[in-house]
Amino acid sequence: MAELQRDKTFEPSGIQGKLKAVLHDVQGTLLRTLGTIERRGYDYRDVHCTQRVDGNFDLLVHVEDTGGPNDLDLLCRQLERLYNVVSAERVGRRTRAEHAE
Amino acid sequence: MTTAMQFDIQRAEILEDREPKSGAQLLLESIAAQGVETIFGYPGGAIMPVYDVLPRVPQLSHILCRHEQGCGMAAIGYARATGKTGTAFATSGPGATNLVTSIAEAYLDSVPVVFVTGQVATNLIGTDAFQEVDIFGITLPIVKHSYIARDPADIPGMVAEAYFIAGEGRPGPVLIDLPKDVANALTTERHRWRPYPKQKPEMGKSKDIAAAEKLMRDAKKPLFYIGGGIAQGDGVQEIRDLVERTQIPVVSTLKGLGSLPNDHPNYLGMLGMHGLRAANYAVQECDLLIVAGARFDDRATGKLDTFAPNAKVVHLDIDVAEIDKLRRVNVGLDGSLKKNLAALDPFKDNAEHEDISEWTKLCYDRRTEHAWDYKSPITNMTSGGIYAPKLLHDLSRRADDSAIITCDVGQHQMWVAQHCYFDDPKDHITSGGLGTMGFGLPAGLGAKLGAPDRTVITVSGDGSIMMNIQELATLNRYDIPLKIVLLDNSALGMVRQWQEVFFEKNYSEVNLDDNPDFAAVAKAFQIDAFTITRGDEVDAGIDRLLSTNGPVLMHVKIDTAENVWPLVPPGRSNADMMER
Repeated sequence: MAELQRDKTFEPSGIQGKLKAVLHDVQGTLLRTLGTIERRGYDYRDVHCTQRVDGNFDLLVHVEDTGGPNDLDLLCRQLERLYNVVSAERVGRRTRAEHAE
Repeated sequence: MTTAMQFDIQRAEILEDREPKSGAQLLLESIAAQGVETIFGYPGGAIMPVYDVLPRVPQLSHILCRHEQGCGMAAIGYARATGKTGTAFATSGPGATNLVTSIAEAYLDSVPVVFVTGQVATNLIGTDAFQEVDIFGITLPIVKHSYIARDPADIPGMVAEAYFIAGEGRPGPVLIDLPKDVANALTTERHRWRPYPKQKPEMGKSKDIAAAEKLMRDAKKPLFYIGGGIAQGDGVQEIRDLVERTQIPVVSTLKGLGSLPNDHPNYLGMLGMHGLRAANYAVQECDLLIVAGARFDDRATGKLDTFAPNAKVVHLDIDVAEIDKLRRVNVGLDGSLKKNLAALDPFKDNAEHEDISEWTKLCYDRRTEHAWDYKSPITNMTSGGIYAPKLLHDLSRRADDSAIITCDVGQHQMWVAQHCYFDDPKDHITSGGLGTMGFGLPAGLGAKLGAPDRTVITVSGDGSIMMNIQELATLNRYDIPLKIVLLDNSALGMVRQWQEVFFEKNYSEVNLDDNPDFAAVAKAFQIDAFTITRGDEVDAGIDRLLSTNGPVLMHVKIDTAENVWPLVPPGRSNADMMER
């Protein structure tokens, strides 16, 4: 069998983590957000979405990398690029290696 | 900081209007209020209320293309030639799906276009009604933003925000899906719109600018790698000034061509898969890569983990999500490219810095050594054949300086990039990100309508032209004086080249020797056309092309076996260029 195209940049790193995003209550925002997470190279392990008193939604997502350019902070910036995503941030512990960076 | 205030001003007048108006009327008046003059569209069932109102909004000139993809590509060409936001209309169902490739094109090349699609009435949405598709859902991954209009009173604010979003920051496509009953409904209400929410930095932090300047002073082999963001960020003069201040050599992506004129003393050429040797070698050997408005696209970088292996990286981009995306950077400067480039002044006050003269000499010697010689390895030019790179070289130098060249996708696209002269990036309109065959003709007509005083030339191939050849009818209908150069090698040339080089000459489904007589086809659309087949006809052909007042097509027969060189094999380092 032929080898798949290899490039260190795209090797799965096994990164896992939790993200919290605040979303406006506007049609399509949840789909846009979840779609972006998948297209940028992550699988979901857990998804929670709850409405806040201000009408926005808190989206909590546990993701695992499937082999893209892997950086959860970058993923947060890509999510924040979406209109009606108020903010996106990592939550929970960082690994020792990430702290060292 | 953010431009929310401008957005408020844009919508203020229209919100004060309390006349009873339909959604369709509000849509068109709101579009006109944005300063739009030209719409490319195609009517159909669900968008008929809009077309019913259209004749009563005289500010809007509608161009009826002959396919919705043609409408979208024409809007893109118009936007790229004018710097304004383009507008395209289509109906629901197949009209909307025919727009999808254009929407993706605008997304991948960051072009501001507002696409409006008709939709079935709101009570029919979700019922699989006639000509119903979920275009909002289909296009979610390829729009900057999108809306379904559910209330006519939302439309003025929605339209103002759509145009604002399409053009702000990194531009892109915005979709408005308009159900038929919302278009028909009358309202006296005008809903206030949620203020634009995002806060974005205007430019990089001063400490990051200082860090970038220090890297530039300490580098022995610095290199600029510039892309399409230079033109879109209005940073052409700023990059030229910075190059002048630093004397650092420059390589460009396909979309960055023209940011520096081809003959600029610091310019090494296009990098990447079909880049120039001098450019690719410089990237591989540099110790500092200053990336401005480029995004490490795979066609530019080759195998990413071998790209500029010894370089530190400074990355300037208006889109913060591009920084650190594919290459870890040492310094990232987000925000306005224009302001960041203007702020960079590493050698100010005679600051001590490394001597880069040895490096620049090496780069410029290589540029001379690997300059194009225009001797075809295939075509026997003395016995009569036409060598396309030479023809394009001659054409672009004989056209006036302000000429715009649009092109399709394939071998001819790379020849245009390699051999045509550009001294402004807006002179080169190509499908860089999506690589859409069929882009060139409609983009050319859109560009010509946007820039009527400039010569616009579309270079196409015999494969590409057939993908939107119906737009010849649009040229004829509006008498748009577009000049088309059709390079016909009777094959899908780029695929054929790859089959020759990488698939052991196993030519599969690339033979187009049953092409129609393209000049006859053009004449059937009442467009002036002629064919040339020999090298000694090129000069006269270019003369006729450039001197014809109306639309004209020059059909050029070239050798099937002619290939594009150099070529970096896919998945390989840019250092592994193949030649002839």
